[in-house]
Amino acid sequence: MVIDTLKCVGCSDCVVACQTENDVPIGFCRDWITETVNGSYPNLDLELKSERCNHCDNAPCVRCCPTGASHIAEGGIVMVTANECIGCGACIESCPYDARYQHPDGHVDKCTFCHHRLEKGQLPACVSVCPTKCMYFGDLDNPNSEVSQLLKNRKHKTLAPEAGTNPHVFYLI
Amino acid sequence: MQEELFTSGRNIPHIDPFLQIWHWPISLYLFLGGIAAGILFFAAVFYVLGKEKEYPAAVKFASIIPPIALSLGLMALLYDLTHKLYTWQLYTTFRIQSPMSWGAWVLMVVTPLSFMWLFSYYAEIYPKTEEKLQLLKKFKFLATFEQFIKTNRIYIAYALIPLTLVLGVYTGILLSAFNARPLWNNAILGPLFLTSGLSTGAAAIILMAKTKKEKHLFGKIDLALIIIELALIVHMIMGYYAGSQVQLEAMQLLVGGDFTLMFFGFVVILGLIVPATLELIELIGYKVPVIVPAMLVIVGGLIFRFVMVEAGQLTRFLY
Repeated sequence: MVIDTLKCVGCSDCVVACQTENDVPIGFCRDWITETVNGSYPNLDLELKSERCNHCDNAPCVRCCPTGASHIAEGGIVMVTANECIGCGACIESCPYDARYQHPDGHVDKCTFCHHRLEKGQLPACVSVCPTKCMYFGDLDNPNSEVSQLLKNRKHKTLAPEAGTNPHVFYLI
Repeated sequence: MQEELFTSGRNIPHIDPFLQIWHWPISLYLFLGGIAAGILFFAAVFYVLGKEKEYPAAVKFASIIPPIALSLGLMALLYDLTHKLYTWQLYTTFRIQSPMSWGAWVLMVVTPLSFMWLFSYYAEIYPKTEEKLQLLKKFKFLATFEQFIKTNRIYIAYALIPLTLVLGVYTGILLSAFNARPLWNNAILGPLFLTSGLSTGAAAIILMAKTKKEKHLFGKIDLALIIIELALIVHMIMGYYAGSQVQLEAMQLLVGGDFTLMFFGFVVILGLIVPATLELIELIGYKVPVIVPAMLVIVGGLIFRFVMVEAGQLTRFLY
């Protein structure tokens, strides 16, 4: 997933779309908006972006999971199998992006890149509703895909690369 | 200068508090697991060395503590799980990279062994209870079982030595495997928690010991372990000091932050330096009631777990 921070206006439409699509319980969210102000007055720089699970290559949550409920599914998406999860919280503690939460039912829940929609050939809910079209979703392994082209041509960053997780959500800057 | 505000998501009241999801049951368990590992380790080592008669507290009398500590600890862990009905999933797989999986399996083996160890000495250390209850006489299979464990006690001891070391180390590695929490994410935590566990175990044996000889020996062992622990704490702080920005910020919690008094006041000074000094004075020949340093070590070990668990969860990479 690629997110253009220059286009994002922080409207939270992606947050609401996700909560509606995935039946996220009230009071929780799988994605959220951050507003970062850099610099010192009066030279300030505002960055808005939508954050979520980074579906890392070297996912600490998958490594720490004692039952294998957290796993990397085909295509590189990090998933949680609810009926294998014991709710120990190890994955929540291990995630540098704080992308996971404990569902009121007991198991741990997080962004799935709307796996159920991808199977039908649809885009994740957050991407499909974004009014500024600042989010892009596609195959990073395919050099001709839209996301690969964007990363080839634009400056970009990932969150907390020093955590060594090799995240798969990229932010255009 | 950097400022960061949340416009949605994280400022929903339930989210951020929920990230700090490990509370007192985890700290309590880490302490109980450590002390049980310590006591069982000494029991097994002294049994293998054939010093059962010389040091009865270590091998026999203190063996009442590990089964109780492990049972309470396991109850605390179960209480902390939010999807309790699926706990059995832990035992359907072994994840070599997950310290919690290691812990679950080691506890699965050590807990019954600790009960067996106690049961093999039950008639010997609680003769009055046995006289009243007549368990071994009433139930033939218990007597057979006791006889079986007694003859195989040496194998239990051989198994317990590596297993208790794994148990002691795992309580630390459990935390240090989380690279999202910079305070925890250092390799010294494993040996540090092991040393602390052995030291609280030795202190518990001092409390149970009746002879002067045994108290002295475990006083010496405890003193050595405290010195190692202090050195490991210095290493831990040095590791943060030479670490990345997030680790420097994490160190601030312990050195000049919210947890400074708890860490240096209650853990380092009252939990390590004061008891070490008292034990040293006692070894030189002055009269010091051993209960004082032993209790200080045990309480210090408990506070140490609470400080590490609570402070660790305040440290993170982003925001």
